[in-house]
Amino acid sequence: MVFSVAYHFLHDRDLAEEIAQDVFLSLHRNLGAVESPAHAAHWLRKVAVQRSIDAARRRTRRPQVALDDVAEPSERPSPGDPLLGDLLRKLIATLPESQRMAMVLRYQEDLDPSEIADVMGIPLGTVKSHIQRSLALLREKLARRGVGER
Amino acid sequence: MTIVRVVAAGCGLAALLWAQQFKFNLEHLAAKASDAVDVSLNKDMLQFAGKFLSDKDSDEAKAKAMISGLEGIYIKSFEFAKDGAWTQADLDQVRNQLKPPEWGRIVGVKSAEDNENVEVWVRHESGKVTGIAVLATEPRGFTVANIVGNVNLDSLANLGGQFGLPKMKATPAPAKK
Amino acid sequence: MDWLEDELKNALSRKEPGEGFDERVLAAARRRNVVAMPRRWMAAAAAVIVLAGAGEAYRWHRGQEAKEQVMLAMRITGHKLNLVQARIAGERQ
Repeated sequence: MVFSVAYHFLHDRDLAEEIAQDVFLSLHRNLGAVESPAHAAHWLRKVAVQRSIDAARRRTRRPQVALDDVAEPSERPSPGDPLLGDLLRKLIATLPESQRMAMVLRYQEDLDPSEIADVMGIPLGTVKSHIQRSLALLREKLARRGVGER
Repeated sequence: MTIVRVVAAGCGLAALLWAQQFKFNLEHLAAKASDAVDVSLNKDMLQFAGKFLSDKDSDEAKAKAMISGLEGIYIKSFEFAKDGAWTQADLDQVRNQLKPPEWGRIVGVKSAEDNENVEVWVRHESGKVTGIAVLATEPRGFTVANIVGNVNLDSLANLGGQFGLPKMKATPAPAKK
Repeated sequence: MDWLEDELKNALSRKEPGEGFDERVLAAARRRNVVAMPRRWMAAAAAVIVLAGAGEAYRWHRGQEAKEQVMLAMRITGHKLNLVQARIAGERQ
C-alpha cells in the first residue's frame, strides 16, 4: 500500500521506495499511538500521501512523465490491452498533483471520495471534482489516441 | 500527575474465575494518586503475552513458565503525595473478600520503621492452590495484587531472587484474621 | 463503474517494492538510530512492519505491551513478597 501509493503518484521507483522506508520508520517511532489495525492502516496511508506530495514538491524537475512525453502508441490499444494500462499510468502521471493523488487513492486503494477527502485533508467537493475532471481529461486524451468506448 | 495506566481488556471470564478473583473497588483512590499502576490480564491476554516472552532472556523465560498455569493477573498499585489518602475501610473491603475456607493468610508482616504492612493470602480448592493475593500498605502507598489460577509455588520458590519472590511453603499456615 | 474505471483499477493495481526492501528498512533504522526502544526490539519491529503490514505491527505492539504488563506485575508482586521474606528472615535471626 505505502510503496504503491508513492510509486503510482511519483512514477519513480527509487523515490517511492525511499518514501516507503520513511513511512515505515515513522510508524515504528509512533507505534505507541496506534490504537488498532484499522488506525495503523489509515495512519500509513495518510503519511504515505503526505510524504509523496512533499517529495513531488521538492523534486526540482517536473514529473518524470510530462504530457508531451506520452508517446502515441504504434498500435491503438483497446480495453483490456496491457498497452492501455501503460498508457493510462503515463497519462495519470501528467495530472496535477492533487488530482493525481485522488485518482491513485480512488482506483488503487479503492477509497470512496469521503475517505480520500479525509486522507488528503481536502474538502469532499474538491475530491469529487478532481476525480470527475481527471476522468474527463483521460477520456479526452484516450479519444484523441483512438481509444474509446467498447 | 503521572498516571501509569496499564490496562488489558478482560473478556470472557468464566463464573468460576469470579470466585477466585476478587473485586478491587478502588477506583476512588486513582483520582488521589500521584502514580497509579493498573494491570489487568485475563487468561487470553496472558497467553498472548506468553508468545512475546523470550526463552532466551532468563527473566522472561521464568515469567513465561510462571504464567503458563495462570488464569489472570490483576494489580492495582497507588502512590500518594501525602499521607492519609487511603483508609482502613479500603483495605478491609478487599480483605473481607478473602474468606475461609478457600482463602487463608499465610503470612503478614508489619514494619514499625516505615509503617509498611504486607499480607500474603493463598486460595486453595480441592487441595490445589488456585490463587494468591498480596495486600501491601504504607502511609503513601496502597497495593493489591491478585494472581489467579494454578500458581505453582515450587516455581515461585525457584524464582526466589529473580523477581525478589520469596520461597514459600506450598501448604499455608492456618488462617489468621 | 464504466470501462475506463475498470481499466484504471487494473492500471493502478498495487506494486511491491524491490527485493530486499525489508533489509534496507532495517539498515535505515540502524543508521538513523531513531527508535526509542531496546535495539533487540527495533529489528523485530521493523521486520514485522515491513513483512506483514500494519495489522501485524499492531499485534506485535499489543504483544509487547502485554509482555511489559506481565513483567511489571512480576516486579510489583515480587517486590512486596521480598519485603515479607526479608522481614521474616530478620525476625529469625
